[in-house]
Amino acid sequence: MAETDYDVVVVGAGAGGGTMSRVLAEKGIKVALIEAGPMIEPQRDYKTHKWPYDYGHRTAGEGGAAYFGRGAAFGFFTTASGGWQLEGEPYTSAPGTRFDWFRSRVVGGRTNHYGRMSFRFSEMDLKPYSRDGIGWDWPISYEDLAPWYDRAEAYIGVTGTAEGIPSAPDGKFHEPPPPKVHEHLMREAGKRLGIPFIANRRAVITRPLNGRLPCHYCGQCGRGCLTASNYSASQVDVFPAMETGNVDVITEGMVRKVEVDSGGRASGVVFIDKRARTERRVRGRVVVLAASACETARLMLNSRSRQFPDGIANGSGLVGRYLMDTVGFSLRGTLPALENLPRYDTDGFGGAHLYAPWWLWDDHDQLDFPRGYHIEMGGGFRMPGPGSFSDLAREAGYGKGIKQAVREQYGAGIGLSGRGEMIPNNQSYMDLDPDVVDKWGIPVPRFHFSFSDWEWKQARHMERTFRDLIEAAGGKVLGIGNLAREREGIAVPGSIIHEVGTVRMGDSPRNSVLNRYCQAHEVPNLFVADGASFVSNPDKNPTLTINALSWRTAEYLAEEMRRGNV
Amino acid sequence: MSSTHGFIPLEAVSRRAALRRIALGLTAAGLGGSLSKSDAAQVHAEVDGERAAAGEYEAKRFNEHEFRTLGILSELVVPPDEGGPSAREAGAPEFVDLLCSQNDELADIFTGGMLWLDGVTGERHGKVFADLEKNLQTEVLDALVEAERLEMGADTRWDTSEYRRFSVFGVKAPSEMRRGVRFFDWARRLIVDAYYTSPVGIEDLGFVGNSSHSEYEVPKDAIDYAMARSPFSEV
Repeated sequence: MAETDYDVVVVGAGAGGGTMSRVLAEKGIKVALIEAGPMIEPQRDYKTHKWPYDYGHRTAGEGGAAYFGRGAAFGFFTTASGGWQLEGEPYTSAPGTRFDWFRSRVVGGRTNHYGRMSFRFSEMDLKPYSRDGIGWDWPISYEDLAPWYDRAEAYIGVTGTAEGIPSAPDGKFHEPPPPKVHEHLMREAGKRLGIPFIANRRAVITRPLNGRLPCHYCGQCGRGCLTASNYSASQVDVFPAMETGNVDVITEGMVRKVEVDSGGRASGVVFIDKRARTERRVRGRVVVLAASACETARLMLNSRSRQFPDGIANGSGLVGRYLMDTVGFSLRGTLPALENLPRYDTDGFGGAHLYAPWWLWDDHDQLDFPRGYHIEMGGGFRMPGPGSFSDLAREAGYGKGIKQAVREQYGAGIGLSGRGEMIPNNQSYMDLDPDVVDKWGIPVPRFHFSFSDWEWKQARHMERTFRDLIEAAGGKVLGIGNLAREREGIAVPGSIIHEVGTVRMGDSPRNSVLNRYCQAHEVPNLFVADGASFVSNPDKNPTLTINALSWRTAEYLAEEMRRGNV
Repeated sequence: MSSTHGFIPLEAVSRRAALRRIALGLTAAGLGGSLSKSDAAQVHAEVDGERAAAGEYEAKRFNEHEFRTLGILSELVVPPDEGGPSAREAGAPEFVDLLCSQNDELADIFTGGMLWLDGVTGERHGKVFADLEKNLQTEVLDALVEAERLEMGADTRWDTSEYRRFSVFGVKAPSEMRRGVRFFDWARRLIVDAYYTSPVGIEDLGFVGNSSHSEYEVPKDAIDYAMARSPFSEV
């Protein structure tokens, strides 16, 4: 038997790879965790509690980059550590199509800044084909997944209230904070329209948990939390995993290939040490890919060998297929009821305190699209930044009128966003660009993408609903919430950053790549622990399900290792 | 790997000296309370002190005349009133100068715009903008705003996430003022941003966030205020 450097090699230190590494390490399994970016140091990297005037550029970035659309992704304060384009690491889209790909190369990945919405998939989400004959069912049921949601929520900490809504299963919740003023108005508007607004479910703790302090309501989750009162894979998974002594984190390591032995089993990975610009290897009994859906599929397609000429474990030809993002659309408006509102601290726990889960789950026969969406909400007295009052100032012209208008209108705005289920289709996939390599010499993804009528019709339903909600509260619609990304009437594919699919699971090796434990059908010691395994993309933001699936896979893997099966 | 990567554990709250910003909120009592008025005043005093210590600002990009013109524009666009001082006092000229010193594209908008402004007032009144009486200065700004409104029409849409105008359906303003509209919009945008991102602007807004609380509460008077003014007042 070949000597191995590690028991398990995990590629990618985000939600999936972080959970996997921590669960394995706690069992005494030796893990090499390879991350393409640097280590994150919260006390150095997080801009928690800073003010705009702490910086000469007032958060517009050097030279006012934000004014020219070249600012940091999601604003100067956000710990996004990445963006839509990375220097020297392009991706391409097939002619006539567009897919935007957000990458955060850093320990913790996108969980350092994400919205932390944490919704369980329901049985209807996991068995959509059985309900409406469209798409595919998952090979697992809610009953299979529920115990892992329980564990993930108990460990991560998620707020919420038990509601008994079939489309939005309840979990093990921390107490949520109360609704803000504009949320009271939206909840009343929702009552008139039959739309239930309930306590938001976010990965934020409101009581102490495993030595983590409860939320102190500064509303700055996106900056990273110095008290780790929210979930990030870096602070909540990777750092504790490192403390076991069983995990070596290899940073700045860009994996280009999974290697196989003569028997067709994974033997380790080849990666570029970015600092030294040299190739290195790390070997393991098991390889787990958690590099994010598109990066995992890219790596598998690039892992060609005599045994796997089309990429590792890709006998089905499905690696890269059925790429999905979330359907997004938003409207913003203004509510006169909120003009000159008495000031109070609206920061809260870093996102809306209420949201509306999909409420028409039993009425699809009356709709012109299948599957649902949930409603997210924004508003309140937000910390001012570049552009906060540009529209009001333009309307007022100049002079004292600007100040008066701003005082009156500050906090009167409302934003509603829909996050809906996209149905996998044959036109939406990624392969490798035959002509382009990145600066590490690795072939890059080429995206192909198309929404069907179902997604467009769902987006129009969102638009009508949001208009109705704003008007029911006596407000006025101002326009599309994110004009840069939604001017076509639907968010640019990829831009919601819920890309999943590409290496889906299933019971048959002919129409899936992974089995029900996210283990490759063709390579028993190769696993996937990120959103690549998703069979469908319900309206629920994917991270919590990535955590739960990864945990489930880790336990299965550990047991299989113990039995000597892998 | 070093062992310093962790979050701040519960038992280590007393080590908050390392967390100056958080320390403003996490008071000695633990997690209670919010950023108090005196704490806020302390922050403001520090900022003012730093500015005073730095002495007279030396412009990085603009000459003395340009910097003076920026100051006057800042005073006119966001003037002092009972809620707060002017944008000039909030550091708008320094903000514009800093960004322009780092960005030639932006600097050209401002230098060209201010030369254009002086050209217009020179032809009309024989003086540069900065030397005009205030009523003549506002006359120019009124004309610019009028031209802007004609130019943009009712259906102008702005890409507010990227701060770029992407479509205009208005009519062309008949005056020479239309050539100054783009500059004026940039100037106003940066001046307004400088004001509202400054300590005095934030105080003017009444923004009370960026704080910390052991419990999150929404004041009943704020809820009642909005409900009474909403269509749900009968509820």
